[in-house]
Amino acid sequence: MDYQWDFSAVVTYWPVLLVGLKNTIILAAVCLVLGLFFGLFVGAARYSSNRLVNWPATAFVEVFRNTPVLVQIMWFYFAFPIISPIEVNAFTAATLGLTLNTVAFSSEIYRAGIQSISKGQWEAAKALGMTYTEQMRRIILPQAIRRMVPAFTNRAVELVKMTSLASVIAYGELMHQAKTISIIAFNPIEMYTSVAIIFFVLIAPLSLLVQRLEMKKRKSS
Amino acid sequence: MGYEWDFSVVFGNFDLLLLGLVNTLKVTGLALFFGIPLGLVLALMRLYGNKALRWPAGFIIEFLRSTPPIAQLFWFFFALPILLGVEIDPFSASVLTFSLQSSAFFAEVFRGGIQSIDNGQWEAAKAIGMTRNATLQRIILPQAVKRMIPAFLERAIELMKTTTLVSTISYSDLLYQANTIAQSSYRTLEVYTTAAAMYFVVILACSLLVGRLEHRLGRSGEITRG
Amino acid sequence: METNQNTEVLCLEGLKKSFGDLLVLDNIDLRVTKGETIVILGASGSGKSTMLRCVNFMEVPSGGRIILHGEQVGKENQNGSRTYDEKSLSDLRSRVGMVFQHFNLFPHMTVKQNVMEGPRTVLKCDQAECERRAKLYLDKVGLGWKADAWPSELSGGQQQRVAIARALAMEPDIMLFDEATSALDPELVGEVLETMKQLAEEGMTMLIVTHELGFAYTVADRVLFLSKGKILEQGAPEAVLINPKEEATKNFLRGHGSFRLPEPNLD
Repeated sequence: MDYQWDFSAVVTYWPVLLVGLKNTIILAAVCLVLGLFFGLFVGAARYSSNRLVNWPATAFVEVFRNTPVLVQIMWFYFAFPIISPIEVNAFTAATLGLTLNTVAFSSEIYRAGIQSISKGQWEAAKALGMTYTEQMRRIILPQAIRRMVPAFTNRAVELVKMTSLASVIAYGELMHQAKTISIIAFNPIEMYTSVAIIFFVLIAPLSLLVQRLEMKKRKSS
Repeated sequence: MGYEWDFSVVFGNFDLLLLGLVNTLKVTGLALFFGIPLGLVLALMRLYGNKALRWPAGFIIEFLRSTPPIAQLFWFFFALPILLGVEIDPFSASVLTFSLQSSAFFAEVFRGGIQSIDNGQWEAAKAIGMTRNATLQRIILPQAVKRMIPAFLERAIELMKTTTLVSTISYSDLLYQANTIAQSSYRTLEVYTTAAAMYFVVILACSLLVGRLEHRLGRSGEITRG
Repeated sequence: METNQNTEVLCLEGLKKSFGDLLVLDNIDLRVTKGETIVILGASGSGKSTMLRCVNFMEVPSGGRIILHGEQVGKENQNGSRTYDEKSLSDLRSRVGMVFQHFNLFPHMTVKQNVMEGPRTVLKCDQAECERRAKLYLDKVGLGWKADAWPSELSGGQQQRVAIARALAMEPDIMLFDEATSALDPELVGEVLETMKQLAEEGMTMLIVTHELGFAYTVADRVLFLSKGKILEQGAPEAVLINPKEEATKNFLRGHGSFRLPEPNLD
């Protein structure tokens, strides 16, 4: 291999990449916060015994878990505007797709986490005279959330990776910026190598954290 | 909503969508075919190799798990051919990327499965004089693989979802076919909804299968201490 | 040493084992003659299990020599230390049987396959020989009728007897029992001890770590009492169990005050 590596364009266009990095982080953060927030409600809805509540929630979760996230993003970008009352730009479409996807997955994490708490905890709280909301808020959730932390961190890892899909609908995140530069500067090797490394630096600490947390969880159980 | 749904373009091109689905399954299947054995090799290197094997295996696994698949795919499709001076068509780049990408995840499944086997099994095999290789082959892996089956299938489903990326390098999978039909017909709502529904049916079927298998493996309680 | 019965099977010389800074075995010397049944007693942490596990190199000793049938295990380096390659350890272990506290049967194999695994994989016996051994040793532990059962279908006592058959199928020179009855429900202990007793009577050489003092009294030829990694006291069961000399031994026996000697006759 006598290819001459030349990373000068990466340096020249660094500000462009930084914009992409910023957009990647914004998209991931917005979708994570919204996803975890609404995920709690969908999770609670699936836990409900009322069929009118539980059935739509289940359908929602199954649809978003069982279709590819890229298809979800494409759908929100190309198909949804036709029936949407509001304008849908690339950021909106990506946010909708990734948030709803995160809602679906995190609702399952909440559900599994709550179910993992033994029945005795509910009964002990009930025996003290707590209401359902009090039992949930003071006894069950604090224990369950601790168990959910590794799974949520894992979701965050997946989410950061998924934001790269927004490049397909030309949202200016890291991958899209790299693609653009590589065409202008004609240096796909250096560009895509750099972008892979940037993502790695961004994600690897989170991944390691997940492994650390899971190991701790395994030891404590 | 005054929108008039019209699925005629979908029905007219359904054979193209089906062809796309077949291509999706083809890439997924080949990636599994290469990715699983490669994953086992990586896992064994990471678990039992000396430093010269353990360290690179760990790095490869972490790198592939911590970078977006689209970045990997673009690297193998746009960068690698220049580096090697050979042409790589979309299909080969896709199979290459997803074989490697899934191997990292399968490596972790293998590692988890192997580590979940009680240390007493190793000791018992050692005590009758079995070597490490023989123990791994005859005692540990047969038990571990059985426990890993649900995790394998889950990974396979994730893989199938991830292969939609091949549409971005113009390999004619289901999503690519949908893009093409949608752009030429302007019936994006119907076409993308249909494509999503097709993915949903296939993936949900697989998910249900996984659920049932998990249930059965769990119920048979095949691993009792003994 | 009077008769030709007294060939030496196993010899430990200055055996040492430490985990980090913790010295677990401190200069253990032991000679085991053919057909001898030795019971090793000691409080938890006294090193008795570690001593047993060093004999077949489940733990690699930190120092000293292990001689099986006159052959020292491992290759000597120039500086006097020893290296142990997988082949020679496999060879050693195929001649030393071991039974664990938690049975460790292979759950994905039937009872018969469990017993045949060693002869097939390690000794490379042909199918007929494997079958012969499986039948012979399963019959010996009284479980021939369970040959096609899965381990999970057996009681703990039965599982442990299969584990004994699995070790016997290697036709070892010596058998090690590491608290073989400690994980069993009380009512299942008897059948396993009975099997061990029968082996002792047939002349199997055995090293047994156990808390069953009654068993030690009736079956052992020699009892060792380990304390802080050393053999503190040893001798015939009457000497150690009835007339102990050392204070530590007496303390240990006081803690086991509930055992009755001899075993009640319930026939």
